[in-house]
Amino acid sequence: MTWDIFVALLAATVLAGTPLLYATMGELITERSGVLNLGVEGMMIMGAFFAFIVEYKTGNPWLATLAAGLGAACIGFLHGVVCLVFQGNQTVSGLALTIFGVGLSDYLGAPFIGQKTVGFQSFDIPLLSDIPVLGPVFFQHDPLVYLSFVLPWVVMWFFRRTSLGLALCAAGEAPEAVRAAGLNPVRMRWLGICAGAFFVGVGGAYLSLCATHLWTHNLTAGKGWIAVALVIFAFWRPRRALLGAYLFGGIMALQLRMQALGTAIPSSLMMMLPYALTILALLVSSARGKGRSAPAALGENIAPGA
Amino acid sequence: MMENRSHFPAEDGAKTAPALVRLENICKSYGPVQANRNICLEVHAGEILALLGENGAGKSTLMSILSGKSRQDSGTIFVDGIPAPFRSPHDALEAGIGMVYQHFMLVEAMTVTQNLLLGQAHGILNPKAMRERVLELAARYGFEIDPDAVISSLSMGERQRVEILKLLYRDCRVLILDEPTAVLTPPETKQLFSALRRMASDGKAIVFISHKMREVLDLATQISILRRGEIVDHFLRADVPGERELAERMVGRQMDAVVVQTPVAKGEVLLELDGATCGMAKDLRCRIRRGEVLAVVGVAGNGQRELVEMVTGAARPESGPDSVRILGRSWQEFVKQRPGRNGLVYIPEDRKGVATCPALDLLDNFLLTCRDEFQRFGFLDRRRAAAAAEGVMREYQVVADGLHASAGSLSGGNLQKMVLGREFYREPRLIVAENPTQGLDIGAMEEVWRRILAARSHAGVLLVTSDLREAVTLADTFAVMYRGRFIDVFSHTDTERLEAVGMMMAGIRFGEKEEERGRSGREA
Repeated sequence: MTWDIFVALLAATVLAGTPLLYATMGELITERSGVLNLGVEGMMIMGAFFAFIVEYKTGNPWLATLAAGLGAACIGFLHGVVCLVFQGNQTVSGLALTIFGVGLSDYLGAPFIGQKTVGFQSFDIPLLSDIPVLGPVFFQHDPLVYLSFVLPWVVMWFFRRTSLGLALCAAGEAPEAVRAAGLNPVRMRWLGICAGAFFVGVGGAYLSLCATHLWTHNLTAGKGWIAVALVIFAFWRPRRALLGAYLFGGIMALQLRMQALGTAIPSSLMMMLPYALTILALLVSSARGKGRSAPAALGENIAPGA
Repeated sequence: MMENRSHFPAEDGAKTAPALVRLENICKSYGPVQANRNICLEVHAGEILALLGENGAGKSTLMSILSGKSRQDSGTIFVDGIPAPFRSPHDALEAGIGMVYQHFMLVEAMTVTQNLLLGQAHGILNPKAMRERVLELAARYGFEIDPDAVISSLSMGERQRVEILKLLYRDCRVLILDEPTAVLTPPETKQLFSALRRMASDGKAIVFISHKMREVLDLATQISILRRGEIVDHFLRADVPGERELAERMVGRQMDAVVVQTPVAKGEVLLELDGATCGMAKDLRCRIRRGEVLAVVGVAGNGQRELVEMVTGAARPESGPDSVRILGRSWQEFVKQRPGRNGLVYIPEDRKGVATCPALDLLDNFLLTCRDEFQRFGFLDRRRAAAAAEGVMREYQVVADGLHASAGSLSGGNLQKMVLGREFYREPRLIVAENPTQGLDIGAMEEVWRRILAARSHAGVLLVTSDLREAVTLADTFAVMYRGRFIDVFSHTDTERLEAVGMMMAGIRFGEKEEERGRSGREA
């Protein structure tokens, strides 16, 4: 009996970790290109809203996911205009995007609060889902979860094995070296912002299409911020991001279960857990060391013509 | 080096064929300053052209135009006789013209191979095949390099090799090197020169920028002298009249008698290091007395920064409180209460950033370190400060648009004179100067040297420099720094050791035998 609870908890961990994983991978791509984006929370919730509204109107979850990604990329585009065209302050622009996204989604979504969507249905992968423990934990979910499994490896492959990925990372490390190599670092950062925002948007889509199947107030509840922290926790490495996302997913799943079981601990304390862990994770990962450092040019704008 | 030209198989053809690159009437201005004026230049395959000139003569501007980084106001660049308008480094690279910048354009967090792949491969990468190519290219020009090494772990000399390999990999036909030897040890310089000669005999054209006469004469087949933005002379190596004449053409006047150091009486001990350790700097021992200049020489990055930070109080010595004694007090006591006047002053290497705030005006920059002098009941007496700052500007002949010009608008030489004036205003007893003449022209350089020598009447000087000539001109005592340690400390009268300074900078102790030299060279 307790064993079943444990397996269910692990499965819930994967479910709770998936939106974090998408958002973290998105922010990771953006930061590797040298742009700090604190607008993840805003882009994520807008993604959730776009996904909900397209699903609500068309009933096609794939179209809804695409809309969420593109919608978030459009908001990311605004960040690019501020940071890449006008060399504005990346921190301020990101914070503004968060406020903007949360506010706008609340306003636009007000009439739909409580409306249900069909969204993605879980789909057991034949054979794999029959494996004991691993089957229920990893292979009895919806398609977005399965896609997220390969995402870190795809991103890592993109960074290491494609010329575009190499140039994108170089733009985050030494934009002047990219320019000297005859490439345009600003273009790489555009790519980093928009591609990153796309995945953040997909993370939002997961929330309204898979996790809740409805639209409600404050759907992200700070998950975007956790993603920003997770990128630091992951030392900007895709595979570590997977670990971090499931760690936080685990905590979220655990606190929900424990609340349901009715422990003596007050629920507000339990709900605080993921955020407390965020602070802890940041403290631990602030110990710098080899292979842990942030992209050297992260947060620095590229002077025009330099 | 002339014989190299005969190695080039199509020598006769090369003379009739259009030049690899020809510049015609290139002009470029920055505001009111004309950096390049009607420059005409030709480079053929197999030639090594030295562009000789003082700092500010327009060498770097010219080369950044040729490499596509900046655009000329007027004039034309011809590649193989065809006009080639460069809009970006990309265009220049496509035309086979590549540049090794003085500040390397490498991604430090990436490996040698990744740096070479950047911008040169398309689509999906094949690092393994690339690795082979790197090794093959490196072997061909006698470079030792590990393709998997991360750039941040490489020495400056190795990084330069990576920069050159980047261009060779692209099959660049014209390689431009901006002050390539500035960061190299003498043995590394030798290695670089032989590689460059090999490239020239392979039919590439080399353009290198320098203000070091000796190097130019050693390497170049052609020499062009740039002065105030114009080409004033062009020689074939064989026709060069002599080092001295070359220098005079470069400066445009009779060379003044170089600053001569006359010893002054030595006084009390002002700085004493007794086994001082701080980060990379380890177990340093030396003394500086009043009237003495101690020159710390060595290739940058061997612990000089840590030494300076420790002595100026920015970093705590890891070795006991008494291992560093400044002005007769222990480090701790000194840092706790620094004397504003007659104390320690610091002339940083980084003029625009550490020494001054480029956006602030000269008066505010003056007050940065001298504010204590002008306080009255906790308020600044700006009027008195302005008078003092103007006095300093007059005395040090700082050419600027008044006190309210921003520090960033001054040329390097003028800014350095201002910094010197500001620091000496407080009549220091201990001066810490870090490459004080880097990037200055000969006139400004001599002025700075004279000022430092004059200050010896009341002060001791810790001079950290990577310019041997500067050390020889100023120092009473030499300390050679290698991998954080002083591998030798000796007086300027010890000519035998002085001769061997170059080898010491590469980590070879005085008196070490030839075979040991090879071994420690490899270790390095």
